[in-house]
Amino acid sequence: MEMDKGLISGSMALLVMKLLEDGDKYGYQMIEELKRRSDNTFHLKAGTLYPLLHGLEEKGLVTAYEREAAAGKPRRYYHLTEQGSAALREKERAWNVYARAVGRVLKGGACCAGA
Amino acid sequence: MPERKTIQGYLAAVEEQIRWRRARPVVARELERHLEDQRDAFAAEGNSPEEAERLAVEEMGDPVAVGTELDRIHRPKPQWGLLALTMLLALAGGFLRVRLFAGWERYCLGSDPARTAAALGLGMACLLGAYFLDYTFLGRHAGAVYIAAVAAGLLSLWLSPNVNNASYYTRYVVLCYPVIYAVWLYACRGKGWKGMFLAISGGVPLALVCCGAPFTQALFLLLVSGLVLLLAAARMDWFGIGRLPTAAAPLGVALLMALGAYRCGFGASRIAAFLHPEMDPLGGGYQAMMNRTALAGAQWLGEGSMGDQYMRYPYEMIVPEADRSMLPLTVIYKLGWLPFLLLMLVFTALMVWLLCRCLRQKSRLGRLTALAVVMTLGLQAVFSVMLNFGFVLFYAELPLVVGNLHTVTDMGLIGLALSVFRGDAIARNAGPENAAVPLRISCNKWQNNQNHEKVLEISLVLKKW
Repeated sequence: MEMDKGLISGSMALLVMKLLEDGDKYGYQMIEELKRRSDNTFHLKAGTLYPLLHGLEEKGLVTAYEREAAAGKPRRYYHLTEQGSAALREKERAWNVYARAVGRVLKGGACCAGA
Repeated sequence: MPERKTIQGYLAAVEEQIRWRRARPVVARELERHLEDQRDAFAAEGNSPEEAERLAVEEMGDPVAVGTELDRIHRPKPQWGLLALTMLLALAGGFLRVRLFAGWERYCLGSDPARTAAALGLGMACLLGAYFLDYTFLGRHAGAVYIAAVAAGLLSLWLSPNVNNASYYTRYVVLCYPVIYAVWLYACRGKGWKGMFLAISGGVPLALVCCGAPFTQALFLLLVSGLVLLLAAARMDWFGIGRLPTAAAPLGVALLMALGAYRCGFGASRIAAFLHPEMDPLGGGYQAMMNRTALAGAQWLGEGSMGDQYMRYPYEMIVPEADRSMLPLTVIYKLGWLPFLLLMLVFTALMVWLLCRCLRQKSRLGRLTALAVVMTLGLQAVFSVMLNFGFVLFYAELPLVVGNLHTVTDMGLIGLALSVFRGDAIARNAGPENAAVPLRISCNKWQNNQNHEKVLEISLVLKKW
């Protein structure tokens, strides 16, 4: 299913950082992993990913380093920093609050649901 | 112009949007690798090579939008604050030299406003020239830079006039040697024990030029900064032989050199005069005794007094080097302790600021280069303050304040450090120089073992880096 771009663009940093939580990855790997984990719902363009990653690096939320990938080609791997982990936890908490609130509204509101 | 539907065409369109020239190849390399991966994936699905490339380019998104977004992120970081503080100190030094030494021509060189102004102009040019220089040039041509520096040293030994029993221009050349050594060290990275041997032996020609001058302070400066740089390299496992051997080898060499110097009695008279100047008040201890006398008679604000014994002689006549290395003492004696403390406060602020920025550098070459600059200036300042306070170990100049040519050299060195800070955002991404050997080993483990403990191990290794 193709999602509305506006719906996911705000949370893209959250998704990218979440991908890095369980190990360092390079850009192409991240796009493939995101597709796999979201059952092809999130099809992130590389042209969106790299400015996002470079912006996160500039803020110190991720660091990058080069090493050879499995195919033997050098790749830039991204690593979530401690600061990035803390920001991820905060973003996850905010997202959960937001998602619950949207869910309640879509179901007819907390007050009405209980009534 | 390459067609935008090809990988090279796409990259060219992205690069066109990025104004900072140094960022372009770094960004393009990463995008190119991504495009190649994507192209190979499409080709594996059965598309022709041309079709696979076209699809990969389409998958990337609009190159102008991508380039514009990357341009917004990748900008040089201006260092206006540090530039301004450096210029302020250099101007203060020039003003003090002209103001304090006016009318001293009878006893010493005195002031020369025209030469001071010319030196300040040249210093500003060196500061800004080095600031806008792409310092990674030094790393890319490390061998040539090293050979040119040794050649410049030898040439200065040959051509310089002899002033105070030392080759005059060599002292300014050798001030750059800690930075040159940092560049040499960079060239030796990742070469194992051979690299370690080359790193240590590379210091020998530089040290010989210092000895040829002879310029003991520069030799000491080179040895201390060389040792610190090697220890910093050990922390990063620079040669790939482990941290402990990388630290132990230079420490061992330094210890042997210190023992050898002690056994030969090298510098014994200098150390004796340093510790007990009162034992030889009219010989080796004269400078220290006069400095201490001047300090004893100094006031918080305003001109001091040398006491009854020296009342008949002007200060500039009886204090050697009063218009050169002893400028800080002259400030204390002629203007008072408060102006001196203010000057030192500004200088210390500059040094601390430089050091903090240096320690935050991600690029290895940048970190070593900036560290070498900070050590060169910092150690000179320490020796200068000791000298002026009557503890004469070396005749050292307070950076940016004392001496015309010294100021020019110091400004050039600071400009180089600022060039590092300005370009750090992109230098840290610049490629293989930042590939970490221990990191590679740990991440291979991760590839084979996806369990939680191994992932945790990667985090720990990365943290050390």
